[in-house]
Amino acid sequence: MVATGKQDALLAQMRKGTLQYCVLALLVDDERYGFELVRSLAETDGMVTSEGTIYPLLSRLRRDGLVETTWRESSSGPPRRYYRLTKSGRAALQAFKAEWGPFRDTVDHFVERKT
Amino acid sequence: MSTTPDKLVERYLKHLEVELDDLPRDRRREIVDEIAGHIAEARAALEHETEADVRNILEGLGDPAEIAEDARERFEVAPPVPAQPYKPGWIEIAALILLLIGGVVLPLFGWVIGVVLLWVSNAWNVRDKVIGTIFVPGGLALPLGLLFFAGSGEGGICEPVISPAGSGGTATCPDGGSSTNYFGLVAAITLLLIPFVTAAYLAYRLRHQPTAATA
Repeated sequence: MVATGKQDALLAQMRKGTLQYCVLALLVDDERYGFELVRSLAETDGMVTSEGTIYPLLSRLRRDGLVETTWRESSSGPPRRYYRLTKSGRAALQAFKAEWGPFRDTVDHFVERKT
Repeated sequence: MSTTPDKLVERYLKHLEVELDDLPRDRRREIVDEIAGHIAEARAALEHETEADVRNILEGLGDPAEIAEDARERFEVAPPVPAQPYKPGWIEIAALILLLIGGVVLPLFGWVIGVVLLWVSNAWNVRDKVIGTIFVPGGLALPLGLLFFAGSGEGGICEPVISPAGSGGTATCPDGGSSTNYFGLVAAITLLLIPFVTAAYLAYRLRHQPTAATA
């Protein structure tokens, strides 16, 4: 039996590693602002434990050129920074999807197998 | 202590800023600004804001330390090296001894060396150093000197003596004026104790170092 601490750490790492692709995927059709992104992610249980960690991620994605941002006036308060996928962001998401599908299926094949 | 929602937010952001200290400045600004924006959005979405609402928003964002840890990982910034507690050595031991009895062994000079060592040391903060210096100049040399002079001078220090009449042990002074002498004795004893208290305090601070010690 695997120690639960180790298992938790692994799950946290997996979440952390895949979170950026979830963010990129949320931006496929529309540009969105930070609070909106966090809300969408928080709707799905277990994806984000600390909402604040989205912001370092967004900053990193921007530095890596996977997203770009524009400030837009908001009707309800101060201007918002909107995030939009760049070409390389789209390419990174496609590349991830191409790997992720088969990977997920393979893992499922073993762990979901009825014994 | 009363806390308003604004104060809670302010404290949270300040805490976050501190935690993000080892990130490049522009990144730190960006993250703090975005999180401040997030809080503002979340608060604006509330119909009737309560302190509990604001606390929930901040809790949802997560512990600033956790966000900072995540940010360091994202930006591949090495985690901060925990400050090595300063290890007291011979400077501190010598300082304590010289502050206490330096002035006795080597009049004035010994104590001065103790003060220099006290201020050179990294183990104490400025407050500790000031305390060590002003309580008491000269260390034990001062009260001992006073006792010595008082004892040899006129109307010297009173020795408790058994009165010849056998009425019990009372302190009497040959020249009378016992109250002033008592006062002098108490002052001298107090003065004698203070350097020990100070030394004990400084020794205690060596073991329980203030965080500002390295500053």
